[in-house]
Amino acid sequence: MSVDYLLQIIGPILEGAKNTILLFLIAIVLSIPLGFGITLLANSSIKLLSWLAHTFIYITRGTPLLLQLLFFCFGLPMLPIIGDYLVFDRFVAAGLAFILNYAAYFAEIFRGGLLSIDKGQHEAAQVLGLSKWQTMTKVIVPQMIRVALPSLANESITLVKDTALLYAVAVPELLHFAQTAVNRDFTITPFVLAGIIYLLMTLVLTLLFKGLERRFKFE
Amino acid sequence: MTMIEVQQLKKSFGDLEVLKGVNFTVEPGEVVAIIGPSGSGKSTMLRSLIHLEEVNSGSILFQGQALVENGKYANANTIKKITSRMGMVFQHFNLFPHLTVQQNLELAPKAVKKESVADIRKRSEVILNKVGLLDKANVLPANLSGGQKQRVAIARALMLNPDILLFDEPTSALDPELTGEVLRVMQQLAQEKITMVVVTHEMNFARDVADRVIFMDKGEIAESGTPAQIFGNPQLDRTKAFLSRVEK
Ligand SMILES: Nc1ncnc2c1ncn2[C@@H]1O[C@H](COP(=O)(O)OP(=O)(O)OP(=O)(O)O)[C@@H](O)[C@H]1O
Ligand SMILES: [Mg+2]
Repeated sequence: MSVDYLLQIIGPILEGAKNTILLFLIAIVLSIPLGFGITLLANSSIKLLSWLAHTFIYITRGTPLLLQLLFFCFGLPMLPIIGDYLVFDRFVAAGLAFILNYAAYFAEIFRGGLLSIDKGQHEAAQVLGLSKWQTMTKVIVPQMIRVALPSLANESITLVKDTALLYAVAVPELLHFAQTAVNRDFTITPFVLAGIIYLLMTLVLTLLFKGLERRFKFE
Repeated sequence: MTMIEVQQLKKSFGDLEVLKGVNFTVEPGEVVAIIGPSGSGKSTMLRSLIHLEEVNSGSILFQGQALVENGKYANANTIKKITSRMGMVFQHFNLFPHLTVQQNLELAPKAVKKESVADIRKRSEVILNKVGLLDKANVLPANLSGGQKQRVAIARALMLNPDILLFDEPTSALDPELTGEVLRVMQQLAQEKITMVVVTHEMNFARDVADRVIFMDKGEIAESGTPAQIFGNPQLDRTKAFLSRVEK
């Protein structure tokens, strides 16, 4: 494992890591609020909205992410009539699949968080004259976040690793570059390097969530 | 003007009739204690007053204004206006665990936005001082004893200057040695002529502090009167039976 060789492959591998990180950031930033929105719909008193949200969660969690990726990248353009309008850049299509998939998981996490909050909290807010919105933003959501944080951390780390699925739809990312180098140079060094980069990313996330958990502790 | 007038209040949960036509009034400055066996409908009745439960029929008038009249509720604005004049203290405190003591007190006044932040701050300090917890202003509820939590809950309710305070077994979740500090605060409020309706298992409080005692049994008011009448000379056998059970 020579230093020269490392220097030679680090450039392309970091190039791949850039796509991995970009997908991760886009997916996490958009799927968390979307997931929370879906939770609110699932809890809606309007039956149709609640049904739609639950159905979405069921379908998304009940089928493999890989299948969803293939569907968004290759399946959408084949749909009759509307297919022609659904030809996206491969990265965009994959990003959409990730956002929707993770939104469903986050929605379930938030739903669990909401259910864990004592009904006395809602009652106290009500008798103090807080509006529904104030109750949500000032009383319920801060407590829900605390409950949800450990699961959010878990899912985020899974997301880092799931970005490797981009490999299957031929969007160049970290694993893709490592694999190319392994095949070309007959050495496993690129795999080790890729593994280290994944570990670094999950380390950063772990530390970040530890910090957040400390901030949201009420004891 | 009469503070609260309740007429023919009825409420069922499914097939279970919990309130079977309750009538009573509360006058300004009065302290009314509600006693009775478990499941007799005390909490349901109290919670109906502040619209945490909706009744099926009957009327609740607050200072002459109908919250519900013959089973028909007022519009959302009127309900909000009426219930904003009331405060409630719960058995399990229901403090906001993510906020400090002072933030618990200031959340609602700040949200309602009727006063400046500086005025709210001043008042929260006055009220915390009154319940003896000024030194705990920046502490999270998890770090308080049960008695301290309940005093914070009372302080929080006082922040909105309610015309009436409702208590649902404020000391039932407390260790016996902590009930005293809460009851003393309530006694102080009684001396300040704050109108209170208190559901309680504390017979001493009912006897010593209340102006009137209501004995509820099986969804109705079985007997009511001054503490001297209820404790000294109960008329009904079931009142006597209940009192001998709780005072043994
Ligand atoms: N949300 C509810 N759904 C169904 N039944 C209820 C509900 N709330 C109360 N009940 C029932 O109504 C009856 C009266 O309850 P309530 O809580 O008013 O009694 P209580 O006099 O306050 O009793 P306790 O002294 O135990 O607090 C009980 O049989 C109770 O099980
Ligand atoms: Mg009760």
